[in-house]
Amino acid sequence: MSASLKDATRKATVTTHGDREIRIERVFDAPRALVWQAFTDPKLVAQWWGRGNKLVVERLELERGGHWRFVEHSPDGVHGFEGRFREITPPERLVMTFEWDGMPGYVIIENVVFEEVGKDRTRIVNLSQFYSTDERDGMLASGMEEGLNQSYAALDRLLATLP
Amino acid sequence: MVQYSTRLDSSFAALSDATRRGILERLGRGSASISDLAESFEMTLTGIKKHVRVLEDSRLVTTEKVGRVRTCSLGPRRLEDEQAWIAKYQRMLEERYDHLERFLRRTQRQERTDP
Repeated sequence: MSASLKDATRKATVTTHGDREIRIERVFDAPRALVWQAFTDPKLVAQWWGRGNKLVVERLELERGGHWRFVEHSPDGVHGFEGRFREITPPERLVMTFEWDGMPGYVIIENVVFEEVGKDRTRIVNLSQFYSTDERDGMLASGMEEGLNQSYAALDRLLATLP
Repeated sequence: MVQYSTRLDSSFAALSDATRRGILERLGRGSASISDLAESFEMTLTGIKKHVRVLEDSRLVTTEKVGRVRTCSLGPRRLEDEQAWIAKYQRMLEERYDHLERFLRRTQRQERTDP
């Protein structure tokens, strides 16, 4: 693989898509069937979803309307995340709701698309849509900008450390 | 991280009560007087006032008295928490994909070395 292609694999694209959407695009050096499995097989999910923390997959009902619930044991405490599946189209698309126990009622819709890039690579396009207080949109957007810029800076630093 | 946690924790204490969560939902649709809220939640004025005070202390709700009517609206705190949550969520998502990348690399290596 050429150096430039290798760089492209690792590059993450993060863009805000309107005021209430976060879009992340990444290409992984793995075939689509494996990436799909990493999202849908509880044993595999437990190995990465917790970001290095212990993760208990309490539920992963892979069907429309099915309930998923993961509990992450991180240094700052135990955090439960859960939601329902809205669409499951193997191995192309997963749509689910996402809620954190700490922010009950703040439902995010996650839309994850798996695309083949050649035979051995996979592009994931993750679109997360937030519902937020309507009449305060303007204020929310202006506050978000700062938070997002901080996140971009952190991401840049992270990418710089990758070989 | 610590800053977010402290800020979120104190507001979660205020949110631990179902009536108070209901009041926030109600105010999310528009401002309301204490007596409107008492009627909606079938509670006494004193009972509702207590809940509103807890929400006001954590800046989730602001109130303003005009004449004899005290009007309640959503406070600035709720927005700060929303912003904190969105930023936190995005960081988690990025970290999650970083770990997925590492996991896939690990798995691929294993597959190649397995007979």
